[in-house]
Amino acid sequence: MSWLSKLKETSICLQAGRVTLPYPAAPRPTPPRFRGRPIFDPAKCIGCAGCANNCPAREILVLDVCQEIRIIKYLGRRCTYCGRCADVCPEKAITMSQEFETASNDIHDLTQEMELFMGTCQRCGRCFTEPGPLEQLKLKGYRFDALAEEKWVGRSLAYLEDQPVVRDIDIELD
Amino acid sequence: MFKTLCQKMLPRSIWVYHANSGGCNGCDIEVLNVLTPYYDVERFGIRLVGSPRHADAMLCQGPALRSTAQALRRAYEAMAHPKFVFAIGSCACGGGIWHDTYSVLGPVEKVLPVDFYIPGCPPRPEAIIYGVAVALGIVEKKVSPVKFKQAPFPIPKYHPEDLIEEEGMVVYQRMDHI
Amino acid sequence: MDARLAAMIGYAILNVILVLLVAPLFEGVVRKLTAKIQSRQGPPLRQPYYDLLKLLGKEDLESGEVPGMQRAAASAALVVILSVATLVPMGGPAPLHEAADVILLIYLITLCGISTLLGALAAGSTYSLLGMSREMMTMMILEPLLAVAIVIGAVHTHSLRLPTVLNGSAYAEGAVPLAGLLMALVLLLALQAFVGRVPFDISEAETEIMEGPFIEYSGAKLALFKYVRMAKLVVYSALFVALFVPWGNTWFYPANLVLFLGKVFVLVLIVTVVGATHARYRIDQALRYYAGLFAAAMVALVLAVFGY
Repeated sequence: MSWLSKLKETSICLQAGRVTLPYPAAPRPTPPRFRGRPIFDPAKCIGCAGCANNCPAREILVLDVCQEIRIIKYLGRRCTYCGRCADVCPEKAITMSQEFETASNDIHDLTQEMELFMGTCQRCGRCFTEPGPLEQLKLKGYRFDALAEEKWVGRSLAYLEDQPVVRDIDIELD
Repeated sequence: MFKTLCQKMLPRSIWVYHANSGGCNGCDIEVLNVLTPYYDVERFGIRLVGSPRHADAMLCQGPALRSTAQALRRAYEAMAHPKFVFAIGSCACGGGIWHDTYSVLGPVEKVLPVDFYIPGCPPRPEAIIYGVAVALGIVEKKVSPVKFKQAPFPIPKYHPEDLIEEEGMVVYQRMDHI
Repeated sequence: MDARLAAMIGYAILNVILVLLVAPLFEGVVRKLTAKIQSRQGPPLRQPYYDLLKLLGKEDLESGEVPGMQRAAASAALVVILSVATLVPMGGPAPLHEAADVILLIYLITLCGISTLLGALAAGSTYSLLGMSREMMTMMILEPLLAVAIVIGAVHTHSLRLPTVLNGSAYAEGAVPLAGLLMALVLLLALQAFVGRVPFDISEAETEIMEGPFIEYSGAKLALFKYVRMAKLVVYSALFVALFVPWGNTWFYPANLVLFLGKVFVLVLIVTVVGATHARYRIDQALRYYAGLFAAAMVALVLAVFGY
């Protein structure tokens, strides 16, 4: 009958012993490329705010207090630990650590705030602005390719000049 | 005297009600993992019950959506005192990636008072057990806010009251020295 | 007061205290052994005591349609199962046997089930009514099984008194005890359903599927119903032991008590192992199973009338 199979099942399960991990008592290692909480290193950060522009959850906030001081704040609440901020940081100032024991009773415990000094120009005293490619998208005249001459136009200088065709860029188009 | 005995028994036997108010089920699967033999949370006396009236703690996953916010609130009010709410996952703690989409009201905090947060996307089962252990008082919490300030430079010391708004830009009004 | 009367009342109180103290311990054994079979650590043995104390300390929510009847039903269920405990011999003689006979025992057992049904009806939510209808279907076919077992004992001993019937009377003296053995097998197969464990916990504690009749209970009322469930395990096992395996009693009460607890422990082990290895039955599968058992019980009754 099925009684024998149930008894056999019981004896198999009892032979397996106890598989429970003694977790809070013994530490539990993480796999090698595990992405835990991102740690921001203020010594390496240059304040480019690339991480803030790239975060899908808008988790990193940037405030320019004055011309020379920029506050970058990481709120921990919505972070999905995707690692895009660490990927895009040019100075490798963000590391995805292996910490996963981040529970607490106050959500503001996860914030990391950095106050950074932005370098100024030695001659005029103003800070550099970063016309990165994304910023240049907002400017007018994004593509000035000369269709008549069939030439690719270098954009960064194009909108400063009168004539659209300013430079030939050697690109083999075929 | 009998009442204090009963109240002291609460950390030893917490009955849990699982409420997913619109998440992607990633955190659901991690919570179900916690109830399996490998991570076995029943050794702390925690049991999954199916009715909020029987439960002491509510595990909330997923952000509070427009359609489920009222149901979540009613499930919370159906629980008997003393009760806790655990917000598990980044969607429940802060809205997650979906915090500005069309159907999400926000984190679970907008609807219920949350007692413990367990962030992660999804949190590892060990992280959930760690959160439960912090709530029961077995271990200490490990995170605290970090703030870094630069060493003082010879630049104008900024006073927040001197910052004025001028067409969207914040400029200084007063400079002590360069 | 008469010395015999004092002894009876003493035994009755001892029985009640025994059931109250020991029922959560057996429930703890069930949970721990289920966990061991599932290869995990499981809760400590004292966990049901912690559960009951915690439930007693919670706020008393008034919910459901008729809260007064909910409270009454919860208290009635526990009181009735404890009064059944005063009629069943647990190591000693059947206390209070002067005040009751076997018919009252059957009625009290049915009354316990009816209190649960009334409690579910008083709650009034859809899920609890559904659980109540399933519990009613189960009860309607299971209580006659127990009644047939007791009636077989009454037919063999030609009396309805508690000490004679609850003393292994199902086995016929003289002839081959066919009816007794058949009925022992039937009741052993139905024990799982009487105590309401997997695979037959269709109505109560069906927390994963539908919440059952206890959905609107919280706090102290829920503690009473959980206690009733734990006490049912001990009381039905005690009935089985008294009807079919009552041998080995000496004149020394503590030794009898230890032997009785050992027998109940063996029955609890069987209940646990069956519960840990089976899945829950649907109500129609379960009713078909009970109908088969009932047919076997009728055959046993006919055999008993003919003297076997």
